[in-house]
Amino acid sequence: MKSLLNWLRRERLEDGLDRELTYHLNRRIADLVESGLTEQEARRQAVLELGGLTQIREEVRDVWLTRWVRDLVCDLRFSLRSLRRSPSFAVTVVLSLALGIGSVTAIWSLVDQVVLRVLPVAEPEQLVLVDWNGDQVAETRGSSNLMSYPFCRDLQSQDRYFTGVLCRHLTPVNLSTGGDPRQATAEIVSGSYFSVLGVGPTMGRVLREDDGQPGAHPVAVLEYGFWRSQLASAPDVIGRKIWINQHPATVVGVAAETFRGIDVGEVPAIWIPVTLTPQAIPGWLPVNNRRARWMQVLGRLRPGVSASQAQTGLQPWFKAMLEEDTRSEGFPHIMPERRARFLRSSIEITPAPEGHSSLRGRFGKPLWLLLTATAVLLGLACLNVAGLFLARCSARDREIRTRMALGASGARLGRQLLADSLLYALLGGLVGVIVAPLIMRTLISFVAADAPGDNNLQSDVDFRVLLFTFLVSSVAGILSGLAPAVQAGRDSLMSSLKERNGTVSGGVRLRKATITVQIAFTLLLLVGAALFVRTLSTLTGKGTGFSTSSLVSFGVNPSRNGYAPADASRLIRRIYEGVRALPATEGTAVANTRLLAGGSWSNPLTILAGERFGTGRDVRLNAVSPAFFATLGARIIAGRDFDERDSLTSGGTGPRAAIVNEAFVRRYFGGRSPLGARVCLGEGPSRKPDIEIVGVVANFNYSSLRDESEQAYFPIFAGRPTVGHFYVRVLGAPEAAFQSIRGAIRAADPALPITYYSSVDEQVNRSLSTERMLAALSSGFGALALLLSLVGVYGVMSFVVTHRTREIGVRIALGASRSSALWLVLRDAIVMVATGTAIAIPFVRVLGHFVESQLFGLKPTDPSTVAATILVLVLTGVGAALIPALRACSIDPTQALRFE
Amino acid sequence: MLILQILTLEPAHGYSIAQRLEQKSKAVVQVNQGSLYPALHRLEQKGWLVAEWKPSETGREAKFYSLTRAGRRQLAIEKESWARLTSAVQLIFNEGGRP
Repeated sequence: MKSLLNWLRRERLEDGLDRELTYHLNRRIADLVESGLTEQEARRQAVLELGGLTQIREEVRDVWLTRWVRDLVCDLRFSLRSLRRSPSFAVTVVLSLALGIGSVTAIWSLVDQVVLRVLPVAEPEQLVLVDWNGDQVAETRGSSNLMSYPFCRDLQSQDRYFTGVLCRHLTPVNLSTGGDPRQATAEIVSGSYFSVLGVGPTMGRVLREDDGQPGAHPVAVLEYGFWRSQLASAPDVIGRKIWINQHPATVVGVAAETFRGIDVGEVPAIWIPVTLTPQAIPGWLPVNNRRARWMQVLGRLRPGVSASQAQTGLQPWFKAMLEEDTRSEGFPHIMPERRARFLRSSIEITPAPEGHSSLRGRFGKPLWLLLTATAVLLGLACLNVAGLFLARCSARDREIRTRMALGASGARLGRQLLADSLLYALLGGLVGVIVAPLIMRTLISFVAADAPGDNNLQSDVDFRVLLFTFLVSSVAGILSGLAPAVQAGRDSLMSSLKERNGTVSGGVRLRKATITVQIAFTLLLLVGAALFVRTLSTLTGKGTGFSTSSLVSFGVNPSRNGYAPADASRLIRRIYEGVRALPATEGTAVANTRLLAGGSWSNPLTILAGERFGTGRDVRLNAVSPAFFATLGARIIAGRDFDERDSLTSGGTGPRAAIVNEAFVRRYFGGRSPLGARVCLGEGPSRKPDIEIVGVVANFNYSSLRDESEQAYFPIFAGRPTVGHFYVRVLGAPEAAFQSIRGAIRAADPALPITYYSSVDEQVNRSLSTERMLAALSSGFGALALLLSLVGVYGVMSFVVTHRTREIGVRIALGASRSSALWLVLRDAIVMVATGTAIAIPFVRVLGHFVESQLFGLKPTDPSTVAATILVLVLTGVGAALIPALRACSIDPTQALRFE
Repeated sequence: MLILQILTLEPAHGYSIAQRLEQKSKAVVQVNQGSLYPALHRLEQKGWLVAEWKPSETGREAKFYSLTRAGRRQLAIEKESWARLTSAVQLIFNEGGRP
């Protein structure tokens, strides 16, 4: 500490010392002159007595600053000077390191948040996720790991394994805290939720077991962030009324500040007990229905019980429950094989200290892939830095040896080189710190693009990771910086000073090996990038199967504003008429399930076409208005579209007509015409197929661009149309049409919020966000890797040429042709690239294994893609070597022989 | 230790310390003047001395060193250990002197 201080005020210290010494000398001289010496002799005598002035200064300086600190400061200054002398070297090294460090840190921080971060609850390691493996014979609402509420209650009684079980369901609601209702996310939870998690309130209380009992007073707990942003941290919030889909509930508390729900991707605004389900999800099955599959179940294991013990231990109970269930009164009539599937189900219990995440399912794997890619990139960057250092140090070979000859110790030289590496590592790390949050923000915008509602992701960089990557790259830099020093120490001084030509030293072999490994890594990254880019272009090129230009879509959910199903249906009808009458619209249609948003309405069907059979698996269903296909621009291949008569049959009799898509015909009719055949929802002997297939529509995508499912459509207004997803072909810009469309909705009901409004193009884009993220980032990384390798190839080859100038000169003088000189250099480069490629090819298969699920329309080992990538790599690699090679063949023999 | 001892009397500058050392020890201790200054700075660094610039007896600015409390304490410690050492040496000599 003190020495640092001394360093900062070193000028004053130097000055003081000078004055002190001068004073001493002058006094001594004066004394000596007094004793009879001449001025000159006195001076001589005084200086002699004192010893060398410089030596004293040095010694005193050593007192101020410990020796090595002083050396380090000098070394760093020397490095800084040499850095300024070769800015391109500096920029390459620093950027390589910064990008490597930055991207690994950014992606790791995201992986950590999405996949690994443990919930801020009491003893998260005891938490497990319960899952039902098999067919639950139930209607589904939600995405994954779903079960019924009664099942969750059953599990709560299994206290041999669990100290508590909770269940949850996230749903959008129209939430009003006094003003206009807005869409917000509510988490419907069992009364045990907070006590099982061990989360307390910031103020008031959290939900309790008795809040979930039938007949309990409707209450809600607010999320801390929601309370702060939407209610301005009102201290008197306890006891206030809020309206959930226009049903009142009383706020009883605000949850702990750190707790933002179980799901990283979706932070709820409020928690409500399961008794409020009918209000929060109008039209959904009663909560006590075992055929409703909608809740995620998590449990807290008893201390000392492992997840696998609980899983094995619970299996007999689970089987017994299944048996009992099939005998219960409400159990539906199903085909024997489906019943068998139901009975074959098993319970699965997995540790879930990180909670559950919808993001994890979607982005977990892509993020791991990107992390691997960046780790490879960091490796590449380190190799490159190592290569660059090796090159520079062989250029400094002579300087180093001269220094040794002048008496510098190996350790001292090592320290100097160390300071060099340290400086670059520091700079690289510094730029990396700046780059990392930028990369993270970009990534989060990719991830957030199609995550609904609020998400919990932050662009905070994980500093432990930053430190780690920083250390890794520093160590790499330092090691490569030290290698030449070690080498210098090994060689005999005399010989190395004399010998300046001829043989290529071991440093070059090391560098060539480095480059070969680099090429191998680069090839892997490039293949990955090419696969993702092709997947993206296939998907966008393919399109949705219908025309998306000037098509906008919006949604309304009247049941959340308190409409009964029949009224909701009439309101949607009114809006439909209103929008259709607008001058700015060309075609208007309504569906009850939104397209390309990942969700679907699926059910097996029974088909009657001569013989009677079930589909045996889910068919994607939708209820649509007349002119739906026309509005979308999807072709009716056979039969007819729905007309108004089909829609008018509301009144309990259900739909009478259905339209199926080509895929459906191919699968269930083997290409024969399905017109006139009859279908109905569900399977089982009690079902009566009474809906006639009246048309066949061309295939188009339903839930996502990858979806190539069988689909069946029924007329809307005849089913249960409590939500409306409108598809409108507009004249002019989609934004311009918004005002008039909103006018039409206001005219029907001024208080009805629009749940979303966007062009279908935009929705298509959004549904491709994962693919786009993978393609953009992997090709970015690929390009970077390629650049790094090319710099590497170029560097090592030009170094080789410089080293062998004399040899090549001699060869040419002895009659070798210029092309043979060219070949001499190129051959080296080709060997490196070829070896690298050969190493990488087996790994392409391994890589393919990981990326397969992310691809569309091509195999991970797609030969043309791999071949094209190799070609690019070979061509650019040879291109990079060509520059030094041309230099080699233009060597003038006479000059080369005079060289040095 | 010697420097510290000299400074117990009064603050002094480098040259006078050198001279006094020579005088006091009746020229037995020949201080290498070259190593005086590093020593002074080392002691200052350790916090046993403080220095300030004052006009000297010749009227020119000189750097006067004076003892700090820590310095006095250190001197006491060193004196004691020196005393122990010399007395031990004395004992051994006495022992050896006896026939």
